[in-house]
Parts: sequence; C-alpha cells; structure tokens
Amino acid sequence: MQKEEIKNRVKKVIAQVLGMEQSEIGDEANFIFDLGADSRQSLELVAAFEEEFDIEMDEDKALEVQTVADAVDFIAQYVK
Amino acid sequence: MNGLSESKKEHFKKIFYPQSVAVVGANRVPGTVPYDMLINILRSDFTGVVYPVNPREKAIAGVKTYKYVLDIPDPVDLAVIVYPSSVCNLALEQCGQKGIKSVIIISAGFREIGGVGIEREKQLLEIARKYDINFIGPNCLGVINTDPVVHLNASFARKMPEVGNIGFLSQSGALCTAVLDYAQAKHIGFSKFISFGNKADINEIDLLYYLGEDPKTKVILIYLEEISDGRGLMKAAREIIAETGKPILAIKSGRTEAGASAAASHTGSLAGSDEITDAAMRQAGIIRCNNINEMFDLATAFAYQPIPDNNRVAIITNAGGPGVLTTDATINEGLQLAKFSDETTAMFKKTLPKTANIKNPVDVIGDARADRYNIALSQALKDANVDGVFVILTPQSMTDIEAIAREIVTVAGRYEKPIFASFMGEKDVFAGIDILQRNNIPHYSLPETMAKAFATTFRFKQRLKQKPPVFKPFDDVDTEKAHAILNKALEQKKTYLAEFEASEVLAAYGLPVVASKIVTSADEARKTADKIGFPLVMKVMSADVVHKSDAGGVKLDVNSGQEAAKAYETIIENVKKYQPDARIDGILMRRMIPEGEEVILGLKRDVSFGGVVMFGIGGIFVEVVKDIAFKVAPLSKDEAMDMIREIKGAPLLFGMRNRPERDVLTLSESIRRLSQLAEDCPQIKELDINPMIVLEKGKGAYIADARIIL
Repeated sequence: MQKEEIKNRVKKVIAQVLGMEQSEIGDEANFIFDLGADSRQSLELVAAFEEEFDIEMDEDKALEVQTVADAVDFIAQYVK
Repeated sequence: MNGLSESKKEHFKKIFYPQSVAVVGANRVPGTVPYDMLINILRSDFTGVVYPVNPREKAIAGVKTYKYVLDIPDPVDLAVIVYPSSVCNLALEQCGQKGIKSVIIISAGFREIGGVGIEREKQLLEIARKYDINFIGPNCLGVINTDPVVHLNASFARKMPEVGNIGFLSQSGALCTAVLDYAQAKHIGFSKFISFGNKADINEIDLLYYLGEDPKTKVILIYLEEISDGRGLMKAAREIIAETGKPILAIKSGRTEAGASAAASHTGSLAGSDEITDAAMRQAGIIRCNNINEMFDLATAFAYQPIPDNNRVAIITNAGGPGVLTTDATINEGLQLAKFSDETTAMFKKTLPKTANIKNPVDVIGDARADRYNIALSQALKDANVDGVFVILTPQSMTDIEAIAREIVTVAGRYEKPIFASFMGEKDVFAGIDILQRNNIPHYSLPETMAKAFATTFRFKQRLKQKPPVFKPFDDVDTEKAHAILNKALEQKKTYLAEFEASEVLAAYGLPVVASKIVTSADEARKTADKIGFPLVMKVMSADVVHKSDAGGVKLDVNSGQEAAKAYETIIENVKKYQPDARIDGILMRRMIPEGEEVILGLKRDVSFGGVVMFGIGGIFVEVVKDIAFKVAPLSKDEAMDMIREIKGAPLLFGMRNRPERDVLTLSESIRRLSQLAEDCPQIKELDINPMIVLEKGKGAYIADARIIL
C-alpha cells in the first residue's frame, strides 16, 4: 500500500473519531495539540486504525505516536 | 536582599498579579484538571481576563476559546499549561513565541516518572531559557493569590482560602488541598498559596525570596520533600529573617534515613541526613515543625498576635486543675509566671470574688462570666510586668462561652500584647473557639501546645536581636600542604587516611595533633624515643589492621629508649601472629597525652548542605547516647561555642561538682578550624577525630586519634 493511500485513510479515521472535517487535518498535525484529542480519543484512534487497516499494533508504542505523519509511518510497518 | 534578579521579580509579579491568564489545554470535561483549572479561575472572581486555549472547542463555560495561545489577540501575562506532558513542550514553545514570560505548568509526567519524563522536563527548561521564561512546576497544583487586587485561584484546589498574612509553599500538591481544608475549618487565611511541584525552574529558594519581599505575607510556611540546595536555602532563610523579621516554619518529610548506617566513620553513621537538615534549619533560624497541626499552631501565633519582648506570662483560668497544667507547661517551655504589680493585686482583690486566687495563675472561679474574664484580662494586660496572657476556659454550667470569647476578642484589640486561648473540651466550646479563630486569637486545645507556641515566638524575637554569625578564617593554615596530602592519596586511589597522614592534614590546619614519628626498626625506635620524650605510646601502622588493640598492636606507657626498642619487636610479633598477611608500614611513636575529657569531632560532606561539623562527648558513649551536635560549616565563634553548649554533656566541659573546667576555648577554636578545613578541602568525605582529649582550662587539647575518608 502506498504511503499516500495510508495517509488518506489515516485522516479519514481521525476525522471520524474526532468528529471533524478531513480537510482540517494537516499532515504534521499533533493529535492532542493541534486536533484536540483527549486520552479516551487517543485510545479510540488506535482501535480505529487497527480496524481500518485490519492490523494489530503494539498498543504502548502506538499511544506514543503523536502526529499524523508519525501515525502513517507507524502503520506502514504493519501494512503489507 | 538580592535573592531575585530584576527579570525574575518581573516574571513573579505576572505569576501572582496577572492582568490576563491563558489556560492552555483547557477542556469541557468537568472533573478533569484542564476543566477545573479554568473554572476555578473564573469562580475565584479573578479581576483580570481569562483566555481558554483548546484546538477544538469554540467556547468553554461560555468563554471564547482560542486554538493556540498565539491566536489570542491581546497580550497575556500568565499562561497556565494543563496539556498532557507529551505536548507541554509545544505549548511552552508557543508561549515563548507569544512573549509570555510567566508560566505555571500543572501537568504531571515529568521527572517524577523517570525515563522519558526526565527528557521532557529538560526540554521544558531549554525552551524556558531560550525565551527567558520562568515557570512554576511541572507536576504541581498551581498558585492562589487572595489579594483582592487580583483574587486568583490558578490551581485545582477546590477552595479559595480566606484572606490572611500567611504564605504557604509546598512541594506536594495533594498536601496543599488537605491544608486548605484544615485551614478553612480554623479560619486560617493565606496571602499566597503555592505548590511548586518538581521545581524544574522556579524553586523553593526563589519563592522564599518572593514571599520575603511580599508585603501581604507576614509568616512563611514551607513543606519540603527534598532539599537540593541546602546552602542556598540557609542563605535565603538567614537573609529573609534578618531583613524582614518574617518567621519561616518548615516541614521536611523523610525523617528516616537508611543510608546513614552504611557510612564509613562515626561521624558518617551518626550524621544522617535528617539530623543534618534539623541542625541546618536551626542554624539558619528556620523553625522546623513535625506536622501540619504543629505548623499551624505556631503560624497562627506569629500571624495573629504581637511577638513578646519578654517571657512573663499571666494565666487566667476558671478552674484550678487546668491552671496548674498550664503553669507546668509554661515553666517547662522556659517561660516565667509573671509577678503582678501591687496595683494589679489590689485591683484583683477589689473586683474578684473572695474565693478567687488573685496570684498568678489567676483563678476567676467556675461561675465566672464574661464580665469577670474582662476585668482579669484587662488588668493583667495593663500590668507592665506581664508580657502576654494565656486564657483558659472550661465549660461549666455557668460559663457563657461565646460571650467570653467575644470579650477576649474585644480586650485583645486594645493592647499590644499577645493573648493565647485554650477553651478546653470539644463540643460545648466549639462555638466559642470559632469566634476566637474568626477574630485572630490563636486557640490551642492543649495548654502544652499553647505554651510551646508562645515560647517559640519569644525565642524567635530573641534570635532576631542577635548579630548574624560571621566566620573569620584563620590565616595560619597551610591549605596547600593539606591539598598536597589529600591529592596524593587520591592519586594513589586511597579512600582512607589513617592516623599519621590524617594528623598531618589536621596539623596543617593548626589542630592540636601530638608530635609523632613512624619508625621501621627497633634501633630507630630507641633513638627516636629520646627525641619525643616520655611516657610514649607506640602503635602499629597498617591499613590492613583495623582493630589495633585487639591485634596487640598498641603499647602504652613506654618510659625509655630500651623499652621502646623492646615494644617495637613485641608489636611486630603480635601483629604478624594476629594477621599474618597484614602489610606493616612501621610503628608510630607518640608522646602519651595526659588525662582529660574525651570528645569527638568530625566532618561529613552532605549532598545538599556540603561540609557539616559534628561535636560530642567521646568514648564509647558517643554511639549509645548520641549526645552530639551538628552545624553546617563554616562556623563563627558564637556558633562553635553554641555547639559545645548544645550537648547534654556540656557540664562535663564547663566544670561540675569536683570535675574541673576544661579548655573550652581551645575546643571551640578546633571546631572552627575544622569547619575551615571542611570548606577548603572538598576531597574529604568524612573525618573523625576520636577522641580529642581536652585538658583543664588553659592547658589545651590533644588529638589522640583521627582518620579521614576520601
């Protein structure tokens, strides 16, 4: 899967979980600082990414991911 | 007082007196810190403007929200960051870009969690330095300023305390909330209330200086869990107390210290960090309290009432037993029972019932009502022989408790003398106590705590009158020589200097070591003996033999060259038999020291307070009785003499019964020289002089044994 496709799907998931427009989400946006995610939503994001990409991620490491760009790189490791 | 730089002063002003506050990371979830922080500021009736910052919300609690602090169109004096620790750096960076210089970081998840937290805290400091920001926290509760000019509760404590003149600093945030609750029940007001958490940037010393200069603060309270800069703390406390007369009351938790037992010397094992903290605080004039109750018992005494110049107390009671209890407590605290003037006695005779006791303690009898308390209290306060009054009340059926409380409040306002009260009981006296506490009359449930509080304020005032200690260094010391010996030992990877080398270091600092020489043959022993003089002591020199007497390595009372040669051979033979593999450097020959009082002197280098001097009565009792005193080096003449007077065994040195007075002057000089050595030679980790023999007055003292741990 191309990074561009991962990025679009990541943004789509974020928009759904955080209840915002996909266009509002910058490539480098920080989930907490720029998008206003709280701790509950951070957990929901991890679960939603797993569902979207049909993968199982290391949860501790996944929660350390802070930005959209980092999420794309992180998920790319799991997606073939 | 130059404790704070001008820029820090400016930044502190905006922390405590901001005209605008941004709550960075506020949210709409009640019951969370980011929400409560905003709500507490709004509810505290803050006089400035509040800007919530949140990337998603349009408004929180009806207040317009900004996505970033940079989006706020107006200048912001103070930013309170409540974001999770992972993004506090981003928030602080934007504060810097916005030109905000004063910040409180509430969030936890920094140094206290180790690992990544330590890195995050470092990042905060780097950003703060880059933008010249000063911040309180992280991992703190926030600050409260009750001054009506701002009326700011920038904390997640649910209660805004009453206005008062007590400034409270705390390293623990949770304790703050408990203290606020405790204080509210007793109507104790605060000027400033500050939780400083991890003190990554602004620390307790900065805040002490701030409260020292704060005109709204009369008494400073501090709760500490660790002291990272003991010397700085002492310096700040001394300056604040001397220049402002404000008392500093402290609780330092962590009194137990397992590490002390692992120390390598007597001094090391005796000087646990808590003993040193205790001594250092006393030395600096800080009043150390054991718990919150004691702290506020003392704080209210200082905050509410004038501090007495003298210690003559009048006791007014409506019952005999409590009067006697209070008398005992008064005497036990070193206070005096006032002797009333003839005028007062005559007045009492005329106005009090025949059955009343008109001598101190004045018993106004069980049926006394407010008018009788008024007469007794007013007359006692008028009396020039009275410096303060203890009012005792027991709730008898005739006692109009609340009226008496109001009478005390009224009378207290007319005199510049302290009045402390003890309404004994709980339920019936509650309303009376409440009246007293609302009106700044210190109340104590026990006469003992009342007497202690009065005595503490009196002693504090006495200390204020003393000149500050001045350390005058001795100019006849040979620092270079001491350094040469110590550095050589360090180069040789030695961690321990035994008697001979240790004595050379001590001699370089003018400490009274006895002339001695190491010999390596029986023949040399015979020749040396005549030069040193008799009687002699001979002792094996070997780092491998720790217990020299047990090894037969010591010979006392050697009286001729021939005896010296024989003693040499016997010692070598004994030691070889006792410990065949011991390396022997030779035999130390030294003139025997005349009899005197054995004392122990020592040094220890403490992590936060640096060089600390120890003194005590020596011999085997030192560890059993622990009759020892500590002080942080360097020491003035008065401080050295105070150390000698401080121990219980002091009469042994100052003379008692048929024991002669000892050479205390030489002893105090030795203590001062040792304190100078502690300052000049940081290579010394621990040092024991055990024992030093103090001869009769005017005859000096001799060091019988010493060792240094590097």
